[in-house]
Amino acid sequence: MKAPAQAARAEPRSYRWSMPANWWTRNRHYFLYVLREFTALPMALWLLWLLYDIKSAGSGAAGFQPQKSPAFVAFSVVCFLFASYHSYTFLKLAGVIMHVKVLDKTVPPRLIVLTMFGLWAVASVVIGAVLIGFAR
Amino acid sequence: MSAHATRPKTAFSHLFFWFLFANGGGLAALVLPVHILVQGILGPLGIVPVVDQHYDTWISILGNPIVKLYILVLIALSFFHFAHRLRYLLVDFGVPAAKSLTAQAIFYGGAVVVTAATIWILLTTAPLF
Repeated sequence: MKAPAQAARAEPRSYRWSMPANWWTRNRHYFLYVLREFTALPMALWLLWLLYDIKSAGSGAAGFQPQKSPAFVAFSVVCFLFASYHSYTFLKLAGVIMHVKVLDKTVPPRLIVLTMFGLWAVASVVIGAVLIGFAR
Repeated sequence: MSAHATRPKTAFSHLFFWFLFANGGGLAALVLPVHILVQGILGPLGIVPVVDQHYDTWISILGNPIVKLYILVLIALSFFHFAHRLRYLLVDFGVPAAKSLTAQAIFYGGAVVVTAATIWILLTTAPLF
């Protein structure tokens, strides 16, 4: 039988991983990384608002109130900045992630990134035209 | 020695979740800024006429099946992307519980709930049938 002191020593001790809570504020790259990952939250909130906007059309013309408040515009400005940062970082990454071969030749990453940014511009114009064009 | 003694297993779950994650991020990147700019800023400020500023134009475009499908794909894929990013952001902030099965159920389950709510809202608002 083990002595009590020995038994206590034999108990499994787990390694406690710890990082200072502010690790991401110490280095510019860490900060930009956290900023990029965080963009998901404002984008999610804005899409939830869009769902609410759709839902509120279901209650009929009398119950529908178009959103015009300054608070909502301020919220959208913040979300817009985060969403644009997400677009910039995500589309730039496409050059690293996507490997495309045309006629046995690897398409240069710069061309892929350029294509993605071109697609972003085209998509923005098309969606903007629909949102504005079908309005009165 | 046979090279085919052990056949490599295709990681279908990886394939599936990477598909959701990558396309969710890509689709949000391509279309979300213009939605926010037009519907969230320019429309409410009255700078341009926007479809969701009047009931009749908004309900009529929401009745279009292609628009319904587009909104469903946009929200469903985006939320799987958001769930994944936010869960790993918690891990990076030193919350090991974010790796647990419970956390996965909460985050990806949340994306499923939002997707289901989107389907319900799209089917009941300006219904197709």
